[in-house]
Amino acid sequence: MSDTEVEAGQLGRIAVVRIKPNEDLCRAVAAAALAEGFRCALVRGAVGSLLDAAIGYGAEKRLDIPGPGVEILTLSGEVRPDAAGEVQALLTGTISDSDARVYGGRFLPDANPICITLELVLQEWIPD
Amino acid sequence: MRQAEHPGPALEPRRLRVGANAAGEYRVQLAAGEELHEGILAALADVGLQHAAITLLSGQFAAFSYLTGQADDSGERLATYGAPSVLCGPVTLIGANALVGRGPQGDALLHCHAVVVDVEGGVHGGHLPPGACIVGEAGLVAQVMGLSGGGFAVSYDAETNYAIFHPTSLDAEETSA
Repeated sequence: MSDTEVEAGQLGRIAVVRIKPNEDLCRAVAAAALAEGFRCALVRGAVGSLLDAAIGYGAEKRLDIPGPGVEILTLSGEVRPDAAGEVQALLTGTISDSDARVYGGRFLPDANPICITLELVLQEWIPD
Repeated sequence: MRQAEHPGPALEPRRLRVGANAAGEYRVQLAAGEELHEGILAALADVGLQHAAITLLSGQFAAFSYLTGQADDSGERLATYGAPSVLCGPVTLIGANALVGRGPQGDALLHCHAVVVDVEGGVHGGHLPPGACIVGEAGLVAQVMGLSGGGFAVSYDAETNYAIFHPTSLDAEETSA
């Protein structure tokens, strides 16, 4: 028997967001969604930079990339309540450092301060 | 988590938001030889859009330039872009996010970051400057979500000393190009 979960729903309201410097990427995306009244949401577009970056990969590996000016090349993910009901942003993507090296992984909470800006479009996901 | 010191004051609120409405979904396919920024903006103008969130889905560039960030030693800003890195094609798209909004002169502006792979298998990525990324023989496909009622517009940010996109409420005239 499969453990796959399929959730029916629909896309809802849209929020256009700017996150300012020193805000944590994951915490701020979740907070912006909640402030719009979205308990679930999808990242529909994002362009920005990080002061420093920390990404996770493998089982529990962590890679720290010092900035400033770490470019967020792609960002995807969702906002959703965790098992305790706390709304979290689960974000993955690719970044480049000042030597033009590219990295990818899962953005870790409390470890990715925004550098100049994050321009973000969120869309509400409304489960049936 | 390190905190940056920018040249200007850190004003509240730290997260700016406006609501927006969906204004249609579009698949845009650029042909070989088109410049990315010009091609996307022309396609959006044709369907009456000046505000959009875009995902580049697939494609190839015959010529590709990108910028990466670095510390700004002038002290005028925390970070700036270095000199462009130039790749010869064919350069294959891996992924890209882009936003279209109102530029400083009221014209449409595309802000795009991308990750690509070169002919030797090297992975690159950064900010794409306008006028420098030419679509290759395989074309380029973008998925566009149009926005109305709210979008991005460039305004000066004293904290970072940059003119950058800010969320903006749009009246009916501004929604369409």
